[in-house]
Amino acid sequence: MTTALRDMIANPTTAELELVARYGMQPEDSRRERLFEAFCRTGLPHRRLEAWKWTDFKAALQGLDRPSTSPAQDPIPHAGALVFRFTPNGYFPPDHIPDGLKVFEKDEAQALGAAEDVPLGALAASLSGGKARPATLLLEVTSKELPRLHFQFSGEGEANFARVVVMVRPDMALTVSESHLGGAGLTSSVIEFTLQKGSAVNRTVYQRGTPEEAIASTALVHLDSNSHFTQTSLAFGAKLARLETRVTHQEASAKATLNAAYLVGKDLHADFTTHVRHGANSCVTRQLTKGAVLNGGTGVFQGKFFVPRTAGQYTDADMQHKALLLEEGAVVFAKPELEIYADDVECAHGNTSGALDDDQLFYMRQRGLPEKTARALLTQAFVAEAFAEAGALEEVLRTEAEAWLAAA
Amino acid sequence: MDCCGGMEDHDEDCTEVKVKDSIAQGTVDAAKALESEHYSAGFITDIEMDMAPKGLSEDTVRFISAKKNEPEWLLEWRLAAYKRWLTMEEPTWAMVDYPTINYQDYYYYAAPKTGAKYESIDDVPKEILETYEKLGIPLREAEVLLGVEGAAETAATARETPRVAVDAVFDSVSVATTFRKELEKAGVIFMSISEAVHEYPDLVKKYLGTVVPQSDNFFATLNSAVFSDGTFVYVPKGVRCPMELSTYFRMNAENTGQFERTLIIADEGAYVSYLEGCTAPMRDENQLHAAVVELVALEDAEIKYSTVQNWWPGDENGKGGIYNFVTKRGDCRGDRSKISWTQVETGSAVTWKYPSCILRGDDSVGEFYSIAVTNGRQQADTGTKMIHLGKRTRSRIISKGISAGKSNNTYRGLVSINRKADKARNFTQCDSLLIGDRCGAHTVPYVENRRADAQLEHEATTTKLSDDQMFYVRQRGIGEEEAVALLVNGFVREVLQELPMEFAVEAQSLLKVSLEGSVG
Repeated sequence: MTTALRDMIANPTTAELELVARYGMQPEDSRRERLFEAFCRTGLPHRRLEAWKWTDFKAALQGLDRPSTSPAQDPIPHAGALVFRFTPNGYFPPDHIPDGLKVFEKDEAQALGAAEDVPLGALAASLSGGKARPATLLLEVTSKELPRLHFQFSGEGEANFARVVVMVRPDMALTVSESHLGGAGLTSSVIEFTLQKGSAVNRTVYQRGTPEEAIASTALVHLDSNSHFTQTSLAFGAKLARLETRVTHQEASAKATLNAAYLVGKDLHADFTTHVRHGANSCVTRQLTKGAVLNGGTGVFQGKFFVPRTAGQYTDADMQHKALLLEEGAVVFAKPELEIYADDVECAHGNTSGALDDDQLFYMRQRGLPEKTARALLTQAFVAEAFAEAGALEEVLRTEAEAWLAAA
Repeated sequence: MDCCGGMEDHDEDCTEVKVKDSIAQGTVDAAKALESEHYSAGFITDIEMDMAPKGLSEDTVRFISAKKNEPEWLLEWRLAAYKRWLTMEEPTWAMVDYPTINYQDYYYYAAPKTGAKYESIDDVPKEILETYEKLGIPLREAEVLLGVEGAAETAATARETPRVAVDAVFDSVSVATTFRKELEKAGVIFMSISEAVHEYPDLVKKYLGTVVPQSDNFFATLNSAVFSDGTFVYVPKGVRCPMELSTYFRMNAENTGQFERTLIIADEGAYVSYLEGCTAPMRDENQLHAAVVELVALEDAEIKYSTVQNWWPGDENGKGGIYNFVTKRGDCRGDRSKISWTQVETGSAVTWKYPSCILRGDDSVGEFYSIAVTNGRQQADTGTKMIHLGKRTRSRIISKGISAGKSNNTYRGLVSINRKADKARNFTQCDSLLIGDRCGAHTVPYVENRRADAQLEHEATTTKLSDDQMFYVRQRGIGEEEAVALLVNGFVREVLQELPMEFAVEAQSLLKVSLEGSVG
């Protein structure tokens, strides 16, 4: 069977062969097989696939090598949070699980909807598991008062995979944070959120990596009626970092807020990809992505709103992507896409990229600020807009962004 | 899959299309007027044709080349393209869906048996005369159009300025080209490409395939192998072409493919405005149209290229219609050159078309103005590419897509700023309007920026659309959206008024379609 799967991958690289070998070591499981098959249809995604044209994992990952660099420090506070850590060698849950949260550590893989659309998510779901960790970590939220859940994906090794499923019961609320800190040649995680009627989730994602590692985070979000999903992401990139969020408005009057910022330096690459399906009436999506890129860095934004016929009437969706190229040699690629089959909708998108506004710089300089300070201040203000919905973690993200800008 | 994107709950039987209240009745009526039953150019001309054997093979390529008595180098060029084409795959990335095309089912060459040039108006076959009359071209002009010798002078005086010189392409051949002599006086070469191959082989050889290479894409390569006729224009240094040039493409014969190839060169400091119009009869089979248009603008030159595309779109059930797979590209080769594309797209069953500009020269300018209207079962995937290579290059993209009936309309565009394109500038605005609840409107813009000092805006603000004009219109009390629509439509209208063809009226009716309630 492993051979047949391997043969599905065209011209497999060493990294892909190693992934097939890892799959061979997993216990037999028909769901797992289907997931791995979904991955094998494309192999490591590459530029010939439309959704990956600017983020080519196949070319970037020749082998699954342990980087010489250490994982980044986690700036998100662990104190007061329920911390779940995933490393290449194991899984470490919190010592104490409070009422209102049920934890199921499943040894079997769970089916993943639309696995073909998220090859790296399917990979994470099929290779998560084995002796040291659950194949699927299932969490059920039945409270509004839980402490923040924190998922950390970090640790040295060749590869790190994780699969988490979060179910939020009707009218419940949850704050969740994630740190994707690298340390392995390839880190890939897939996390699913199901927000039942009237529930709310506030998710914060932090990503930092080095030019020696690839990081992929795939989130699948299902929204029931009147639920509200808020997401704030900050990415510094890696050799390749892809933070992908796919949201489905399944029932009427759900709301999604997707904010993100990328700050990318030399030899780093950060990719924000989102896909929002307005599969029900009167749903709202607000999306704002800000980016700043230095010489040698690459920022990618791909957003798509899909509004099907009959289902998506009265959709109200807005997508904005604004990027600053701070130095020559910076690269920004953007594809803000709309696919609309319903006629009574309001969908808009905006996309700008360029340098800091000369007029604003002039204004600040004539107030006596040195150019470097003026630039840093303007860039901070530009980026910080994306953090406004992060709640208690807004300050953490802001501080991280400021530190980066000060060093840039 | 139906044309509307595989919506599971699609009710095929219901023919009533619901339109939301906020859309003005005038807009709905204007769109309705474009439905297939109103297609006025859908008649068939019954005339004896000289055809190539059906199907495509190396022999077909040789047949076409021999018919045109082409030099050896061009035959080799065609054959190389044909060999390349055999190794290529038809692109599938566009948001269009049509049955697999059997390329062996088409005739790749069809010409009226009677030939091309006529001594007197009496010799002109009645059928051809009637064809042009029916298309709304007055007799005097038709005389000119059909190349009756001596008619040019009278027609020229009969018609007020601006005059338009016409190259009429009927299926695979150019039937006639008007005003050639007068243009020659200005040094402008305006003739069919088949003639140019013989009369100006050096020019053709120098520029053919330099903007759209033989191997560019599946359809362009097919065209390179079997292209039949098209227009060749050369405007020499410093010459402002004294009149509008135009080509009128007519597909008539059954099961044919039309593969025209147009090549326009504006030498240093030259200016030319070129118009292109297309119609075809209403037939139940799909006809294939795979054209290549190459524009070259040298230093300080300007080319304005306008299209009114009104190929038969098929009936309301999607039967018949033209597959319009066109590669159009302009190369702003010289500094300060400018290429401007304007298109009004109302026809074709399937459109796959991206008129593009390669902004190579420093300070060169590219523009793309488009109104695309789809109705019935039409599918259009159209847009542009602006490739900024030179310093301080500027581009502007204004695209309005209007979908009605059960159609799908996609804007697909690329703005690419190269590392050496200092201070490049782009403004893009693409609005879509859905009329009814059974159609689709899509926007797929790609923006690649590799310059920090570039300034790129995609629908971010409307004030960047010629600030002065906007200011003028707005201070007259006109709202921002209306002002933008007015300016865009004003530009298009100006071009349409120059069109000597009946369907210009039809295209103008498009401008009555207001753009309120736009999405994206």
